Amino acid sequence: MSRAMARKLDEMPRVELTESHWSDEQKAEFLRRRRARNFLLLAALGGFCLIVYVIALVKLHEYGQMW
Amino acid sequence: MSDHVSEFLSNSRAVPHLGAEPADWIALLKPRVVSLVVFTGAIGLLIAPGHINPLMAAIAIFCIALGAGAAGAINMWYDRDIDAIMRRTTSRPIPAGKISAAGALGFGIVLSVVSVLLLAMATNLCAAGVLAFSIFYYAVIYTIWLKRRTPQNIVIGGGAGAFPAVIGWAAVTGHIGLLPMVLFFIVFFWTPPHFWSLALYASTDYEKAGVPMLPVVKGARHTRWNVFIYTLILFPLALSPWFMGLAGAIYGLTALVLGGAFIYYAWGVLRDDQDEKGVSLSKDAPARAAFKFSILYLFLLFAACAVDRLV
Repeated sequence: MSRAMARKLDEMPRVELTESHWSDEQKAEFLRRRRARNFLLLAALGGFCLIVYVIALVKLHEYGQMW
Repeated sequence: MSDHVSEFLSNSRAVPHLGAEPADWIALLKPRVVSLVVFTGAIGLLIAPGHINPLMAAIAIFCIALGAGAAGAINMWYDRDIDAIMRRTTSRPIPAGKISAAGALGFGIVLSVVSVLLLAMATNLCAAGVLAFSIFYYAVIYTIWLKRRTPQNIVIGGGAGAFPAVIGWAAVTGHIGLLPMVLFFIVFFWTPPHFWSLALYASTDYEKAGVPMLPVVKGARHTRWNVFIYTLILFPLALSPWFMGLAGAIYGLTALVLGGAFIYYAWGVLRDDQDEKGVSLSKDAPARAAFKFSILYLFLLFAACAVDRLV
């Protein structure tokens, strides 16, 4: 498949079912996945802040300054 | 529309788009590749002279893993068209329709920036600079520039996997020494026999996708010779840290035994019988064995280097 074809596929609308067509199970699955993604994002942001905080503490402790 | 395109469409478009699972995002980071990168990066940290705070060392290894994963995500974004064709890669998150191409690219870029920034803060600019260059090397030089243009793609692209030991060393010392450079070239010359062994039994997949891997362009016999020659080059190179006094007898003897075993496996690949079309009569059993052994080879060689330094 050429890259032009790949680009065309990217631009094509997904043949997906809209929420109104979803069964109860699909709705529940969608909500579960969205919740999991949001928690993952929250954990990633929290982890990033924690790492920056730890780096700052260690650098301040070792050298009395960040750089 | 070809069968491949129809298959791609049916795989990725006509399904209810319920969103990706966290595991799909993790799959985008190529966790198996990252595990090897983390290992070689950690060895680089361990063998470097000097002291680093253990917390900073852990963050440095995390950043190396994150950077390698980010480069993997960008690779999957660019290669989504050929991934949809090759049997080995059709289940990857983008061709499987679980993650959008733009989402994967954004994910890769954000993680690249975060990993380099964090490494610069935790260690030094030298380590962060090498990490940034290694991401660029894999994502742009190998994936975008070389992979689809030349059968020597993985020879030059092998450099991408060779950086972590240098990054680990630089994280501790703030500069690039002779030993990490030797380790760099060991991984560099290890990559062709490792990858071409795989390519020998996956060549139909690469041919289907139009990727000019060596077995596709030059044939199986030529590739077998190259696997053997690169393994022969690797043998003295792996011993060189011992000869140069950079590593001791534990490393030297390990390199000697492992090198001999690798040459034995490469000899098996060279001697494998094939028909006139280059198809192996043993279903590429020697190539599969050589591929598996090459992974063990690198793990044991680097582990011996660390043990030698620490004992």
